[in-house]
Amino acid sequence: MLRFVVRRLLLLVPILLGLSILVFGWIRLLPGSPAQALLGERATPATIAEIRHQYKLDRPIYEQYWGYLQTIGKFDFGVSISSRRTVAYEFEHRFPATVELAVAAMIFAIGLGIPLGFLAAKRYGGVFDNLSLVGSLLGISIPIFFLGLILKWVFAVKLGWLPSIGRESVLSESKHPTNFYVLDAIIAGDPGALWDVLKHLLLPAIALGSIPLAVVARITRAAVLDVLNEDYVRTARAKGMTPVVVDSRHVLRNALLPVSTIIGLQTGLLLSGAVLTETIFAWPGIGTWLKDAIFNRDYPVLQGGILFVAIVFVLVNLLVDISYAIINPRIRVS
Amino acid sequence: MSVGEIEAGGLVFEGGGGLWREAGSRLRRKPGALVGFALVALFIVVAIFAPLLAPFDPREQNLTLIQNGCCPGPSAQHWLGVDQLGRDEMSRIFYGARFSLTIGVVAVAVGLSIGLLLGAIAGYLGGFVDGVIMRAMDVMLAIPGLLFAIGIVAALGAGLFQIMIAVGTTNVPIFARLLRGSILAQRENDFVLAARSVGVRRRAILASHILPNAISPVIVQGTLALATAIIDVAGLGFLGLGPQDPGTPEWGTMLTEVDRYLQSAPLLAVIPGVAIVISVLGFNLIGDGLREALDPKLRNRV
Repeated sequence: MLRFVVRRLLLLVPILLGLSILVFGWIRLLPGSPAQALLGERATPATIAEIRHQYKLDRPIYEQYWGYLQTIGKFDFGVSISSRRTVAYEFEHRFPATVELAVAAMIFAIGLGIPLGFLAAKRYGGVFDNLSLVGSLLGISIPIFFLGLILKWVFAVKLGWLPSIGRESVLSESKHPTNFYVLDAIIAGDPGALWDVLKHLLLPAIALGSIPLAVVARITRAAVLDVLNEDYVRTARAKGMTPVVVDSRHVLRNALLPVSTIIGLQTGLLLSGAVLTETIFAWPGIGTWLKDAIFNRDYPVLQGGILFVAIVFVLVNLLVDISYAIINPRIRVS
Repeated sequence: MSVGEIEAGGLVFEGGGGLWREAGSRLRRKPGALVGFALVALFIVVAIFAPLLAPFDPREQNLTLIQNGCCPGPSAQHWLGVDQLGRDEMSRIFYGARFSLTIGVVAVAVGLSIGLLLGAIAGYLGGFVDGVIMRAMDVMLAIPGLLFAIGIVAALGAGLFQIMIAVGTTNVPIFARLLRGSILAQRENDFVLAARSVGVRRRAILASHILPNAISPVIVQGTLALATAIIDVAGLGFLGLGPQDPGTPEWGTMLTEVDRYLQSAPLLAVIPGVAIVISVLGFNLIGDGLREALDPKLRNRV
């Protein structure tokens, strides 16, 4: 087990190095220069040269790359051009927003997807099974931005039940020590604030969770169907164990193995989906931040932000692999 | 890749060997796959014959139709109503099918061909080359797909061609991994060992034994990738990275501005969205059907 973890950690080194080269090279490929972006209309040859010197852009490329690696090491990416706040500050405020949204979306997807998939498999070939198949197919075929718009139209515009933008009401005076608003409201022991935050969270979480929901339901159904035909399930039944015990101890336990890998694979999809979901619901997270940074040529944000998102993504996948190896001994051997 | 080639791709099943013939006949018995083929056929027909089907020019504005800030709904003249600039919605949807189909097909073709080449090289040569190629693919997969695509569009500039390249590039590592894994799995099979032991040359084994068997997951993934590509392309358009001429009837771009009209004209959001869902659903249904039809493990179940 230890060897497995160490080997996976060592594999991270070339990936992270490759990532830093990719981001570094990509930023230099972007049309327009950082100096231009910083100075805007006021750019003259003299000021551009000054900025280039200040940001060490006149040095040889390998020196610039080494400097970039050092900024990564110190986690100091400078000041965002558009917001004039440090990249670290923005990250600290926006990262929790996206994590909160992604976690809520996954709770929605897993909490609904596993029972749905399980029930569909138990009623294999029946009406419920077919309905869930059609539903999950529709789920993966509806673009997030379309679903988001429809949810907004029905629940915010037409019915007026839920807010359509932001993380909390404009009038809210809650303090945010952790920047996870749900957590903050619980810490403060303020049910009103919690209700407000949850209401804001609901529609974006459903929009972002729709595709994972469909995927989780499908995989659960397929996995449960596989396990139901196994000899050990028949043996357990033959021994006279009650259906509930067979289902929970033998069927679900084994069926959830493939489901857990799939859940890990959804992380990248969630981050991609976050860009769209956050755009629709004006959610102040990482997705809109990076998208705007690309539009505004906000180089400090891009250098730090994209790399950081990629690192988080890689680490989550590593954790998923390790936890998978823990629950499934077979993978360690191969 | 032209529409004709896609249709030719479908014809392979008729003339192919045992696996394909069998898969084809099993596919015909799947109602889901048949619905998928019907939806995709509808999509292709609309895309090809858009100029004949569309009652109006999709770019023609008619501001006299606009009342109270926005757009009247369906009428005898405009079956699906008009948009915020008085353009006929139905004509825009029909012409939009052309963009979604071409961009999706080209994007997948780009990703598929480069990915397959890299995957085949990695799987066939193995060793150091394999290591380098697959680590590069890991790096590409480490950036969330949509952000990666946005990044490429940012470097190349917004536009239809750039979107095709961007979405295609995000598909490269997926296909490379898939074909490599598939080749590696096939290499250990008994029939490959048998062929090798009777003295068949390596290249012949790769061409006539490994590739035909390794390719079926690629075909399934290719169909599903078309569905994802259409969604991704529309997503980029929705974010404002699509065609820079705002008159272009691209489905994703059409959804960008409707946020402001949700109250008065929700149909403007519903119609392009439904068009996207129908085409994506079609490819997903075909992909699912193909997966089950081509899976040797399921062969004896039917």
